[in-house]
Amino acid sequence: MSALSLPAASRQNAGQELRRIVRINEEIKKVVTTAFKINLMAMNAIFLAKRAGQSALGFGVLSNELRRFAMDLQRQMETLRIATTDSVVVVTGLVKQTRVERIFQRTLAVSKGQGRRMVEACLRARNDRYSGDESGGVTALNRRLSQMISDTAQLVELGSVLARSAKIEAAYGGTFSTSLMQVSSDFEQTISDIQKSLDTLTKHQSQEFAG
Amino acid sequence: MKTAQTIYENGNHKWLALVRDPSRPGYLIDTNEYLVAVGDDAILLDPGGAEVFPAVFSALSAEFDPRQLGKLFASHQDPDIISSLSLWLEFNPAIKCHISWLWTSFVPHFGGNDETFVAIPDAGTDILVGGQRLQAVPAHYLHSSGNFNLYDPKAKILFSGDIGAALLPPEADGLFVEDFDRHIRHAEAFHRRWMGSDRAKRDWCSRVSAMDIDMLCPQHGAIYRGEDVKRFIDWFANLEVGVLKY
Ligand SMILES: [Fe+2]
Ligand SMILES: [Fe+2]
Repeated sequence: MSALSLPAASRQNAGQELRRIVRINEEIKKVVTTAFKINLMAMNAIFLAKRAGQSALGFGVLSNELRRFAMDLQRQMETLRIATTDSVVVVTGLVKQTRVERIFQRTLAVSKGQGRRMVEACLRARNDRYSGDESGGVTALNRRLSQMISDTAQLVELGSVLARSAKIEAAYGGTFSTSLMQVSSDFEQTISDIQKSLDTLTKHQSQEFAG
Repeated sequence: MKTAQTIYENGNHKWLALVRDPSRPGYLIDTNEYLVAVGDDAILLDPGGAEVFPAVFSALSAEFDPRQLGKLFASHQDPDIISSLSLWLEFNPAIKCHISWLWTSFVPHFGGNDETFVAIPDAGTDILVGGQRLQAVPAHYLHSSGNFNLYDPKAKILFSGDIGAALLPPEADGLFVEDFDRHIRHAEAFHRRWMGSDRAKRDWCSRVSAMDIDMLCPQHGAIYRGEDVKRFIDWFANLEVGVLKY
């Protein structure tokens, strides 16, 4: 039955792959919520810097940058979410094919004569139809997902630099120094939360598919 | 594995019953599938669930060239009836599935497309198999709200779907009902619970009483023959259905 064995080892792991994508999606949802929080925090910071006036000009500039960062991050997460949705579609297809494949293998095992020849022909046709494109599709999607996660990591690194700079600027905030310091510490904390989520994402993503 | 047993044969006109699968896991309800073959045309009645496909296919192909199967008949929409549809379509993408119009947009969740289904109107219709006219007989609400039996007037066989079904213990593995009173005990709870409408039941009983039936073939359990057909119809007519006490 060698010629009729499962066309792609990956197909056996489709269920595992689906669970992995679900984990990635859950982590993305976390980052999306946090990015939204940063956006609100940045708007507050801009407001605070305006009130502090002359003494918080540098802080104001950084708050604007952080807000732009939050919006970039939200956009980035949206494309990531779309990419995982695409993966769910492809992998769900694989799960379905896996089930059909399993039933046909069982049918082959119990069929004789003309019936057996039909099952064999059918399995061969399925091999030709699915072996390339489906598992290839998953590989391409995975590559895209990895690239996006590393792009996001770079973006978040920039956010982290902005938060640190805001902390330094806060020290020059005069009478507003304490509240500006509080705001920039919040930024720093939140961005480090995002970094943790991204680390988890990278870990889930690098778990070898078809392993 | 299931076995294919010939229950009617007259020239090139044949009924096969695909029954009893001792290797079937206990969590799946046992089902009967029937094949009506006339010449080189054939229709498979209630083809069964996806999980029993290997057993059905191998039993069928032991007695019949599966390449000649071009038609399916689904008495209703249940998973034990027609969830194997996508698998049959793999072998023959042009296969037609005859089913109540009520389910033609529900069953495609199991497989098929707008080419696959032939909708049966509520009043029933004739289905031609190798020139032989089979009749889709209304049996709505028994138990499904869009439900058909299939009658072969030449063979005098009525395929009755879930009507007449019995959930038999493993030792009662005969193809035919031998002792009606003993058998019907295993049918009672099923009919009381699954059959929802007393009025539909009375309609059906009067409709089939007027038909000439030698064999009544249900989708679960054993086949009623001869006098047992009338016995079953009378028993069913008197059974209280559609009442749930809990
Ligand atoms: Fe049913
Ligand atoms: Fe059933």
